[in-house]
Amino acid sequence: MEKGDKVWEVFIQKKSGLAFKHVGNVHAYDKKMAIHNARDLYTRRGEGRALWVVPTEAIVSVPLDDSDAFFDPADDKVYRHATFYEIPKGVKHL
Amino acid sequence: MDKFEEAFNKIIEKDRKVEPRDWMPEKYRQTNIRQISQHAHSEIIGMQPEGNWLLRAPSLRSKQVLLAKIQDEAGHGLYLYSVAETLGISRQEMIAQLQSGEAKYSSIFNYPTVSWADIGAVGWLVDGAAIVNQVSLQRTSYGPYSRAMVRICKEESFHQRQGYEIMCSMAFGTAEQKEMAQDALNRFWEPALMMFGPHDSDSVHKGQSMEWKIKRESNDHLRQRFIDRTVPQAQYLGLTIPDDQLKFNEETQHWETGPFNWDEFWNVVKGNGPCNQERIDHHIAAHKDNEWVREAAAAYAAKTELEVA
Amino acid sequence: MKITINKEEAKFLVRIADTSLILGQRMAEMCSKGPYLEEDIAMSNASLDLFGRAEEMYKIISKIEGNQFSEDDYVFHRNEREYYNIKLVEQPNVDFAWTMVRQYFYDVYAKEVYTQLLQFENSEVKGLAEKVLKEIKYSHSKSKNWLYRLGLGTEESNNRLQIAVDHLLKYVSELFNWDDLDKKYFINCDQIETQWNTEIDSVFEEINIKRKEVPPLSMRDCRDGFHSEHMGHLLSIMQYLPRAYPDAKW
Repeated sequence: MEKGDKVWEVFIQKKSGLAFKHVGNVHAYDKKMAIHNARDLYTRRGEGRALWVVPTEAIVSVPLDDSDAFFDPADDKVYRHATFYEIPKGVKHL
Repeated sequence: MDKFEEAFNKIIEKDRKVEPRDWMPEKYRQTNIRQISQHAHSEIIGMQPEGNWLLRAPSLRSKQVLLAKIQDEAGHGLYLYSVAETLGISRQEMIAQLQSGEAKYSSIFNYPTVSWADIGAVGWLVDGAAIVNQVSLQRTSYGPYSRAMVRICKEESFHQRQGYEIMCSMAFGTAEQKEMAQDALNRFWEPALMMFGPHDSDSVHKGQSMEWKIKRESNDHLRQRFIDRTVPQAQYLGLTIPDDQLKFNEETQHWETGPFNWDEFWNVVKGNGPCNQERIDHHIAAHKDNEWVREAAAAYAAKTELEVA
Repeated sequence: MKITINKEEAKFLVRIADTSLILGQRMAEMCSKGPYLEEDIAMSNASLDLFGRAEEMYKIISKIEGNQFSEDDYVFHRNEREYYNIKLVEQPNVDFAWTMVRQYFYDVYAKEVYTQLLQFENSEVKGLAEKVLKEIKYSHSKSKNWLYRLGLGTEESNNRLQIAVDHLLKYVSELFNWDDLDKKYFINCDQIETQWNTEIDSVFEEINIKRKEVPPLSMRDCRDGFHSEHMGHLLSIMQYLPRAYPDAKW
């Protein structure tokens, strides 16, 4: 497409109770068109019940050079993961 | 070697995926852009030979199936343009390259579809060949490309069946229909085999692409897989593969073919196929005739999209 | 093969089926010719919906008629004069404005038509109408949005839209030439016309498009199987294969 069009990221919720999932993007000139285009492209096989579109330019992400600083500190916080904990044998439903 | 290059090499070596914001060698980026955009263009140009019979499909059912299939191709072209865009090229640039002839698409689409049986042959052979290639590409090293392939393979699973179903109704139909089916096979067989590209010994881009795991299996390897699958399917239809040297090698358990006419292949690639000009002209005309629509949409958005909801 | 339609109910429903089919075929012509890829996909969706609703309706007609003919018989073996679609939908895709105006005019009309079919006695027709109304609601919102974009976009788009509107309006009065069959099976014919006029007038006012006085064409009515010149070409392309190879099965 040409000047004036924007790229929009598309998120679909397959059924209620599930999280919205990023499925790709579409080009469109305006909001309504973006929603229509996303519906026509990404739900051709009945894949969705709810749809979000977000202008790609509105998404903020971590700069590549900083990614170590952002994510490495979480690497050693093993206590956030369930497997960190020892459960006595025979104890259930934990 | 700096830490970025090291990280990239490690991703490739460990068979992990390269993601858009990872550092990557410029040549890796360019090779991917070339291959992915070519793949996208093939989907888009491929709509035309099939669209040629859309309005003449002989039943309501076949009409809807064909339309859904062509629509999928548009969708898959779009997924692939999106993937290429993550590498820093815009769809607009890619389309300009297609229209100027700078970018290529699969040569098979430069052949005409002159009967309804050709629609069968395109689905059976052309989609069949594309699927072999795309299944292999699910393991490509560029993450977004790999994910697009997974999705595309899933959606295209009905495409080849649609083609084979048409071949069945033609091959087992009236004498005239069977003749059309054989004629279609005669014309599409060799071009379909050449879709896998030159023999490994002549392939220009092969080495580096394999090392970077952009390409996972060689042209000849993929071609052989396709031949081995397809020959029995032709036999079932009672059609004759147009290759008098075709024979089954008991030792290797593979079908062996005679030599292909590569001169014709290269001539079509260079622009001298039956429909090269028509395909590009059609694309340019649709683009140009609708310039005013895109301008209107842009102008309307500029007037109304000020308030962001 | 001579296709006949005998029951009154079937004669009424075949008009609706034919209208879906012919518009579907026109929309299918746009495949690979859209202003950009996303819209191309959208137009194919519209076409698929139309073919689907035509197919279902022919099946119902076939049942009403006692399964004499299949849906494909109705599609491929009737001549021009045996088709009963509104002339509006056979008009060509001169440019994108024509395509969208034709679609929008149809959507506004069809929305009310299928709403009334919800009250139809035949439960299969009712069921189909329910499904179709969802499709039309979506299609209507899409085509209406396009009228806003074209009407309020650029001077050129407004001009082109006005030209398409001026031409296609000529085929609108026919929609409301109700005959006895219409009056028997629609709940309220006048309502279809009033709804159509109310929506079109209010939208045109917002998008800077004039609704000129269009004297009705001196053309015989689609209800008697009369069409514009375009129809014969459309059918000759669509019906070519089954007619060229009458013994073949596809």
